[in-house]
Amino acid sequence: MSIEIRNIVKTFGDFKALNDLSLNVESGELIALLGPSGCGKTSLLRVIAGLETPDSGQILFHGEDTTDRHVRERQVGFVFQHYALFRHMTVFENVAFGLRVRPKSTRPSDAEIKRKVHELLNLVQLDWLADRYPAQLSGGQRQRIALARALAVEPKVLLLDEPFGALDTKVRKELRRWLRRLHDEINVTSVFVTHDQEEALEVADRVVVMNQGKIEQIGTPSQVYDTPASPFVYQFLGDVNLFHSRVHEGWAKVGSGQFAAEPGEHATVYVRPHEIDLSRVASLHAIEGTITHIRLLGATVRLEVEVADKEVVEVELTRERQLEGAWQVAETVYLVPRESKIITAA
Amino acid sequence: MATQIAHKVVTTEAPWVRYTLTGLALVLISFMLIIPLFSVFFEALHQGWGLYQAALVESDALAAIQLTLIVAAIALPLNLTFGVAAAWAIAKFEFKGKSLLITLIDLPFAVSPVVAGLIYVLLFGAQGWWGEWLAEHNIKVIFAVPGIVLATVFVTFPFVARELIPLMQAQGSDEEQAALVLGATGWQTFWYVTLPNIKWGLLYGVILANARAMGEFGAVSVVSGHIRGMTNTVPLHVEILYNEYNFVGAFACASILALLALLTLAIKSYIEWRTEQQAIADRRSATQA
Repeated sequence: MSIEIRNIVKTFGDFKALNDLSLNVESGELIALLGPSGCGKTSLLRVIAGLETPDSGQILFHGEDTTDRHVRERQVGFVFQHYALFRHMTVFENVAFGLRVRPKSTRPSDAEIKRKVHELLNLVQLDWLADRYPAQLSGGQRQRIALARALAVEPKVLLLDEPFGALDTKVRKELRRWLRRLHDEINVTSVFVTHDQEEALEVADRVVVMNQGKIEQIGTPSQVYDTPASPFVYQFLGDVNLFHSRVHEGWAKVGSGQFAAEPGEHATVYVRPHEIDLSRVASLHAIEGTITHIRLLGATVRLEVEVADKEVVEVELTRERQLEGAWQVAETVYLVPRESKIITAA
Repeated sequence: MATQIAHKVVTTEAPWVRYTLTGLALVLISFMLIIPLFSVFFEALHQGWGLYQAALVESDALAAIQLTLIVAAIALPLNLTFGVAAAWAIAKFEFKGKSLLITLIDLPFAVSPVVAGLIYVLLFGAQGWWGEWLAEHNIKVIFAVPGIVLATVFVTFPFVARELIPLMQAQGSDEEQAALVLGATGWQTFWYVTLPNIKWGLLYGVILANARAMGEFGAVSVVSGHIRGMTNTVPLHVEILYNEYNFVGAFACASILALLALLTLAIKSYIEWRTEQQAIADRRSATQA
């Protein structure tokens, strides 16, 4: 089912959490809302769920206005960051809850509930935990149970609020791949909130980058990573070096290097650490500097290079290229950006 | 060996300090708690089991016990309802005037019970604000059971709410929200999700409120009028008997209150133990994340 979000405004006191925000989610899509804390991503998710009421704007499910529909009638599945499992109920009862609270006329029989719950527990591969209590499960298991519970009511939309935020790195990575596979299997329209760019890029069909209650960019993971639409997206997705410079006759000077810039007064140049080549020969676009640190980070090597005005530039090389170049600390080098983005301002 | 001694010196006090402090504490507890409690039962029983029984089945005493039970039976459900409603509102929602409401809930603890009683006399008494209207409609509040119930509800008001507010705040409202999203009605959410999570805290508050309701003297004394067999609760009856030098009778009735206190303590300890078990489980579920 598609979701259409139209001009949503939500304020908390003086704080504008969502500022005239519009977004379309296609049916069957898995969308990530990505942004720093306080950017409004969780508020947006809760507005879609009906847990928060927007000050103005509309939410449409499959073209139908649901803005004023109560949360219990919206047929959404919601997965909370801290699981929110019912602590006094077994795993089985947790998953069965959504079916048991239905009015008598639409409530399935006990046998049907039992069949359904076990089917869902099998889907999340935890059928053997049916009689345990939430306190007896690991974090990863709890989140999978929370997902099974949300799916029990056959939601038309699945909403996940930082679903892996409380888990450790290894479990988080496993679980997000698992979520992606599960989504391909059941194909329910899903929106998940995250502040982890890696997670968003790996799992989502499309990424919505948010900042200060507004959308900065919407696109596929490669679109937002390769062609960031704004300085914010550039900085938020991955590490980036940035240089401030003045524009002179169509060129922005950074140390000894020059970059073609649009007419304007000031320019900001963004270069990702892994998109810089090192050279021992000077050239027009190269920035001269001195290597101050070399650190090994697993498969990559990170070098810090001090350029003019004591500015430090981070450069990331593969281990092979570092061995090939045999770069040394205190050596003078020339940085050649393969890719860069230059934004000029008056 | 040397390190072991040094270790002991830094972590504990010298033996004589320990024994003196422990001894002092024991003496204090004996004089303040154990001997008085023992003396109640001793005074009640020292002229024989027969007299003790007779003092308890005497009609005025029975009436006092009956009234105390009736008052508790009315005051507690009221308290339970108000307390849960107030705690629910305060813990799960944000609204203006919240801190004022919390302060108001604490008011009965801050105010002297005598003042609490007087408030109701001023409102409902013959010379009070609504006294004339009540007299015209032949409704008796002061010097009657309604007044005693009102005074008791007032003094016991904070117990349930105060017990529940921190508990419900610590538990947050995630589970309630999850229940709502899953399609539960407000009532189903309260009944199946909130109540099971607070049941031990609730019971604890009710037990304490009950002890206070049955033992309240000051506020009830002002509104009751001390009519024997009519508006006397057990604590008031004890005072009357004592003033009449009927020591066996006074202490026999007092022993009922003392037994109630002991029973309350036992149940309270059990509930504390249960809540602690639950807290451990909750913590485990929070940290294992």
